[in-house]
Amino acid sequence: MPFVSSTETPRREWRLPLLGLLLALAAATPAEAYVGPGAGIALLSSVGVLLVTLLLAFLSILAWPFRALWRLLTGKKTAAPWARRFISVGLDGQDPRLTERLMAEGKLPNLKKLAEQGCYHRIRTTYPSMTPVAWSSYSTGVNPGKHNIFDFLDRDRKTYLPVLSSAEIGNVDRFLRLGRWKIPLAKPEIRLLRKSRPFWSILGDYRIWSTVLRMPITFPPDRFYGAELSAMSVPDLLGSQGTFLLFTTRRSDAKFKEGGQRVELAGGPDRFETSLRGPENIFRVGDPPLEIPMTIELDRAAGRARVRIDGEEHLLEPRQLTGWVALEFKAAPTVKVRGITRMMVTELGEHFSLYLSPINLDPESPAMPISHPSYYSTYMAKKVGPYSTLGLAEDTWALNEKVTDDATFLRQSYDIDAERQEMFFAALEKLDRGSLVCVFDGTDRIQHMFWRYLEEGHPAGAGRESTAHRDAIEQVYRHNDALVGKVMAKLRREDVLVVVSDHGFTSFRRGVNLNAWLLANGYLALKPGCDGSNEWLRDVDWSRTRAYAQGLTGIFLNLAGREGEGIVQPGAEAQALRKELIGKLSGLRDEERREVGIHQVYDAHQVYDGPYLVNAPDLIVGYNHGYRVSWDCATGVVAGPLFEDNVKAWSGDHCVDPNLVPGVFFCNHAIDKQDPSLLDIAPTVLRLFGIEAPAHMDGKPLFEKPPATLNAGPARAGGRESRAA
Amino acid sequence: MSLLNAALRRLFDLLLYPFQSLPAAVGLTVVSLLAAIGMLWAFKKTSNQAGIEAAKRRIYAGVFEIRLFNDSFRQIWRAQAAILRANLTYLRHQLKPMLFILPPLVLAVAQLQFQYAYAPPAAGSRTVLEATLAPGWESGGVETSPSGKPRAELVLPAGLVAETPALWIPSERTLTWRLRVEQPGDQTIAVRIGGRLYEKSLDGARPLERRSPVRPGRSWLDQLVYPAEPPLPADGALERVSVDLAPAEVALPGWTVREMVGVPAWMTVFFLLSILFAFALRKRFGVTF
Repeated sequence: MPFVSSTETPRREWRLPLLGLLLALAAATPAEAYVGPGAGIALLSSVGVLLVTLLLAFLSILAWPFRALWRLLTGKKTAAPWARRFISVGLDGQDPRLTERLMAEGKLPNLKKLAEQGCYHRIRTTYPSMTPVAWSSYSTGVNPGKHNIFDFLDRDRKTYLPVLSSAEIGNVDRFLRLGRWKIPLAKPEIRLLRKSRPFWSILGDYRIWSTVLRMPITFPPDRFYGAELSAMSVPDLLGSQGTFLLFTTRRSDAKFKEGGQRVELAGGPDRFETSLRGPENIFRVGDPPLEIPMTIELDRAAGRARVRIDGEEHLLEPRQLTGWVALEFKAAPTVKVRGITRMMVTELGEHFSLYLSPINLDPESPAMPISHPSYYSTYMAKKVGPYSTLGLAEDTWALNEKVTDDATFLRQSYDIDAERQEMFFAALEKLDRGSLVCVFDGTDRIQHMFWRYLEEGHPAGAGRESTAHRDAIEQVYRHNDALVGKVMAKLRREDVLVVVSDHGFTSFRRGVNLNAWLLANGYLALKPGCDGSNEWLRDVDWSRTRAYAQGLTGIFLNLAGREGEGIVQPGAEAQALRKELIGKLSGLRDEERREVGIHQVYDAHQVYDGPYLVNAPDLIVGYNHGYRVSWDCATGVVAGPLFEDNVKAWSGDHCVDPNLVPGVFFCNHAIDKQDPSLLDIAPTVLRLFGIEAPAHMDGKPLFEKPPATLNAGPARAGGRESRAA
Repeated sequence: MSLLNAALRRLFDLLLYPFQSLPAAVGLTVVSLLAAIGMLWAFKKTSNQAGIEAAKRRIYAGVFEIRLFNDSFRQIWRAQAAILRANLTYLRHQLKPMLFILPPLVLAVAQLQFQYAYAPPAAGSRTVLEATLAPGWESGGVETSPSGKPRAELVLPAGLVAETPALWIPSERTLTWRLRVEQPGDQTIAVRIGGRLYEKSLDGARPLERRSPVRPGRSWLDQLVYPAEPPLPADGALERVSVDLAPAEVALPGWTVREMVGVPAWMTVFFLLSILFAFALRKRFGVTF
């Protein structure tokens, strides 16, 4: 310890004389009355904060009896609850085969312990096995025909162009014009397209609190008794689902195919004046983009770049990802649009390139509703610091386009996971009674991008940067296991913990262009002179097309009366066509690889029921292991081969036959039902809190009776916390 | 201290020279701006900005928690306790920069006090001159009358008239005269006692001018508090000389600020303006308080 004291002493030397001087000065008459601006602010704000918070607390306590009385008079009654807290840890894409192998190898001790203490099962996923569909069924307990989410994308029935399946963001069309300015007279309407009610909304009817963190398809957020932070479908500040920016001195006319914008840097060689373009400014006539000036100065000798944005200076070294950088776009006097981004210099040599992650909505002051109550995102930002808000927060596109690298992607993913864990444990600490649901996406994203390391002979294997990331997937599974261990350590006697994934994972070696197959087999026709290379089915001659593929697993019939230029008559003709396509596509072989590319095609009328069946694709394509819709087909390109190698970093997937990729289900209590399904979770949670599931729910409770291990009887409905066993 | 005060007097006389014939609010605005800039710079250099930011975040989070979990007594109290803890941390983080900021600020404030706190004596106004003798004055060769009153002579400039003879209060060792101002100006009053002359200025030629109610003795604290005039000789018979001065007002657009509960008007204005400037400029300086 002598080293400590020797280094501390000089730092403290100033304190005593300074304190003496201060005391002497404080005795002076003028100083008595004056404490300076800094001290003044400190004192004023400290006292102010104390007074305000005391007042708030006082008012809350004063109002409590009235609220309690109101609840008593108006609230719905539950039967005796079996549990006090329901905690769900969602591990998006955690695969049962990998989980079981790693558990057997002793690499997932906490999950193994959880399975031994309670249970472990593979859990049936939805048709298709896709995140937005599966988590929507988890939340609502119904099949997609009742919640209306069938894919990431839907199509505009008139134009056949893709639209987001889960949310609709409207435009403002009424303005007050004042010269070059225009004042919007309404807010854009943002509508959640998921139907049915999530279980936390039903719990809220009974005044049972829920905290829902980053559950997919919760944008805009549900309104209920609890708090929710939106996830999938939350756009970035540009309104897209994630557009990264690359400022570069490299000249190129090529555009990024997926989610990126290239900005060429002019001037130089060591100083560049440019600007960061944000969203459109709806306060100005013509909606010009909002901009923030950006200056880049290169210090080649020191190997670093000085980036000045919005008056803030950042010193960047190559390949070092910054923390969150706050951006403030000034739209009008007193109107600012705030975002956050992360930056990284990707090259600093002959050429210079600067990567900016998609500009996330600033959680402290989001430009769109991303939480319920509206201040919840701000609260979380105050609690844990800035965090990603974008629906698909991990920047897979930049890695796919080779703008970033494997290490950067992993860093991004783990940073996001760390933010999520902080939020989760902050919420868990505050949960006295009710449910807490949180989805961790890292498993899904890392498997998507690193499956090529897992599998010898993967066509994307050539893109492997080194052997350093060979265990990236195993590492994320171990990381999840550690998370589960931390959660288990915080469990109380009357808690039910569920660890669940929405689907498993498999390889994506070969892409299948279904539209090319439909074209080759006469179900789809092209306009004269077109070769089908235009995106979003723009080359298709709809007057001669009977079926088309859109989204990641869907085939739609060009149905008369439904599609804008439909030619297939509903009823017998449509039914016959569905049957014909199922017959031809199920078991479709990839002769080049001598493998089956499509495992099974499902008729939507067989796998769905409910009022929104009309919105579903007519056929759900269940690909075999190693196969998925091709990148071209996913973007509406008809041209190209039927099967082709997938050489992108995005090398693993789950958009295959749902029967091939079930999820995992762990619980700290044994369940009564075998072969659980994601649809069973919502009715199970309701039953745990003494609420009978609504009749429209398709799932069934996993517990027939209170689990013997759950406090051997009903949990106390109120009063003090029970102690951990 | 005398040297420091002399230097500061020169500096502030120079600094405020352009504002001598302008309303006090103008000079105060400039001085407040400079003080705010100085404070921001020092605050940035000496404070733990990350710690302050974190403490503020925790306070805000606590406030949100009270609102969010208003059905739970337990959470409300926990939030309240967390706010209190964060508030104390916040104050602790403020202490260090204040230790650096306050000393120069107090020295500056002491100088400004004598530029802005007192109004110039008006024609026809009266003031009381008080000369306090040093302890042990009796053995210092000061002549006394048979009643024991020290013999002192008042030497007044043309614009001042003594209305009373010297009143001797032995318990306080003070000689007191009432004076009438007939012609305001930059005047010097002198008290002759024990064969030496002790001067006290009474400036009133311009609205903004250094004027002090007290000419201090050699005590360190006295010199710190009353730096506007050089101290009296250490071996003299007088410990201090003072005059009564009326407090000055500061006229702002639509608001005349007066002395309130002993706080001079200029200080109220300075306090408000410097806080406003500090707030307005804090982002430019990258400072959070």
